[in-house]
Amino acid sequence: MLKQLLQTLSPRPAADEARAWSRRRFIGAGLGGTSLLGMAVLGTSQDLAEGSATPGSPAATGGAYGRSHPGAHGSGMHPMPTVVGEVDHEKNGFHPTKMLTDFDGGVVSTLPSGRTLREYTLVAQNKAIEVVPGVEFPAWTYNGRIPGPSIRVREGDRVRITHLNASDHPHSLHFHGIHPGSMDGVFDMRSGVVAPGGRYTYEFDAEPFGLHMYHCHTAPLAKHIAKGLYGAFIIDPKDGRPTADHELIMVMSGYDVDFDGANDFYMVNGIPFHYDKHPIRLEVGELVRVYLVNALEYDPINSFHLHANFFHYYPTGTSLTPVEFTDTIAQMQGQRGILEFRFKHPGRYMFHAHKTEFAELGWTGIFQVEG
Amino acid sequence: MTTTMTAIRSGRTRLRPYALLLAPLVLLAGVIALFVSTNGAGLNVAPAAPIETVQFGRAVLRPGQIELRLRNTSPEAVRLAQVNINDAIWPYAVSPGPEIPRLGTAVVTIDYPWVEGEAYEVLVLSSNSIPFSVSIPVATATAHATAGTLWSFTLIGVYVGIIPVILGMFWLPALRRLGPGAMLFLMAATVGLLLYLGLDATAEALEVAGELSATFQGVGIVGIGVVGTWLLLDAIARRQQGVGRSAASQRRSLATVIAVGIGLHNLGEGLAIGAAYAVGAAALGTFLVVGFIIQNITEGLGIVIPVAKDKPSLRLLAMLGLIGGVPAIVGAWVGGLVYSQPLSVLFLAIGAGAVFQVAYEIGRQMVWKDTAARQMPFTALGGVLAGMLVLFITGVVIK
Repeated sequence: MLKQLLQTLSPRPAADEARAWSRRRFIGAGLGGTSLLGMAVLGTSQDLAEGSATPGSPAATGGAYGRSHPGAHGSGMHPMPTVVGEVDHEKNGFHPTKMLTDFDGGVVSTLPSGRTLREYTLVAQNKAIEVVPGVEFPAWTYNGRIPGPSIRVREGDRVRITHLNASDHPHSLHFHGIHPGSMDGVFDMRSGVVAPGGRYTYEFDAEPFGLHMYHCHTAPLAKHIAKGLYGAFIIDPKDGRPTADHELIMVMSGYDVDFDGANDFYMVNGIPFHYDKHPIRLEVGELVRVYLVNALEYDPINSFHLHANFFHYYPTGTSLTPVEFTDTIAQMQGQRGILEFRFKHPGRYMFHAHKTEFAELGWTGIFQVEG
Repeated sequence: MTTTMTAIRSGRTRLRPYALLLAPLVLLAGVIALFVSTNGAGLNVAPAAPIETVQFGRAVLRPGQIELRLRNTSPEAVRLAQVNINDAIWPYAVSPGPEIPRLGTAVVTIDYPWVEGEAYEVLVLSSNSIPFSVSIPVATATAHATAGTLWSFTLIGVYVGIIPVILGMFWLPALRRLGPGAMLFLMAATVGLLLYLGLDATAEALEVAGELSATFQGVGIVGIGVVGTWLLLDAIARRQQGVGRSAASQRRSLATVIAVGIGLHNLGEGLAIGAAYAVGAAALGTFLVVGFIIQNITEGLGIVIPVAKDKPSLRLLAMLGLIGGVPAIVGAWVGGLVYSQPLSVLFLAIGAGAVFQVAYEIGRQMVWKDTAARQMPFTALGGVLAGMLVLFITGVVIK
């Protein structure tokens, strides 16, 4: 008998049977009337918690309840999921806000044939990244950032990428696109991988136009991707796309910080909740083009939902004609597509994974649209 | 002059044993210093990943708010980073600060619109990405120490402790009419009941002990509780026997010792029930409390058996009943208002040690003595087994 009582007190997720019971009877048993007292205590203990926090602590840095966009989702009375505090972007070496428009055209030269050559250097390196305030993740990165550089070339360009491995594990570079097997980053690179301290140069023609991606293809693959070795690879059509007011890159992924094979945080562009805390500013009527890539490991499906608006969707970006006018799309791992939309009304609009668990674990952001 | 010298010398002589006792400890300190200064005899003893554990206290739920108390039970300081409730990262405040020194405590306050009656899993993530989780099986506003709640817990204690023990004593007139064989059987049955309760409490104590952080050494607490209580009650019983009074007064002493033992056991039961009510898990407790009442009526029987033939005064009976029952009220208060797992382990262990000792005492003073005198060996066996079976069967029915 004691056993049953104590099981309900244990820290394990016990007492399924207890859930089935209505506790109204228990409240009726004379323990009601505590709510008033509870509310009285609420105010004081919060003051205490914030007042006595040490400098630099989440409570003291204003991260706890004082969000950087006061008034979002109503008053501060209604709490929303978010992290406490702010990560040190400078120490991380990259900033998600800048990453939105950080397209990398490489070092450009012209080949004797008259074609454009674009050269890149991608260095695989170990790096501790503060993924959410206070939590450093021992990441593997291309050029010290997650996601890696957003490589942007034009259809028909020659692309030359030197892959240096400055880490202590073998890595590789696997580009999506059309290229010879020796340039695929899986076979034919001596032992199939680039050993620590080693290098390999990939060279291929940029085709087909569209939105692609690149990632490490070294086994165990899930680990190499989940640790951060992925990035966007954009091939513009020969004649380009219609001019947009904003072109934004968004690479969706997650972090498994406790190494249990399941993500603890989700995000676009490396830092969970970043665009929730720092909304993306737009203006009414502007054409916005989002290059959306799903590099999420462990979970099979990711999604994108835009509030109070619809977008034209170009799967993989390989056609200039949209296939759908919608407000929600799904992408499986490795899938990607281009979104185009204009806001009709000013206001604050959320965008997030419509798998709400991902949203509440970090994959959520806000467009701040001015009239 | 000479006397002073003698005084000094005798002082030295007196201090010398203590100095000799200290010598190995001084040497030990030297060895530890050597080991540490040579970095663990050359082995790299620093772990690859930090070892971090925390012990959660009771979660306090107020309307729109969850408050967690936790103690850092790991070898090093722990820094809290983020909080996750049911798969959502949630803003929180922590007092006195996110950095918790070893054995230090912190209070994490989360403004969260929890729903009455639903289950929550709260995950506190340390800066080393170690997740500490605590579950709230049934969310309900936590009881506070008001006159109303104290009175409720008192009533629970009265129902579980005092009423059944006193009701059990109403068997007294019937006991008087029983023959020696039947009395022996009943006493043996009491031994059986107590052994069963003791085993149950020990198992529970060990189970909760297993959930404690290593720092609290749950099994050690169980050992201290059981052994300490046993020896304490044993010493009291022997001292009373040593006084050399009449057989009747010795039987009265035995009844008192039994009452004390049962009282200590009811302390643990009250704690468990109070704690279950406090976390809202014990609407189902209504049923369980009925079970406790049924089982505890046998405790009253056990208390009065030694004095059944002595025509005890009402005053004595009332006193015995209160000794056996009132601790359930105290337990319910403690469990309902300041529940902690280490305390629960200790209380359960004390209860187990107490009933074991009482079973031994009844066996030694009454059953074995009578069995030897009257040559009824199977009566004792049958009685002990019957006692255990009564609790086993009532358990099957009410669990």
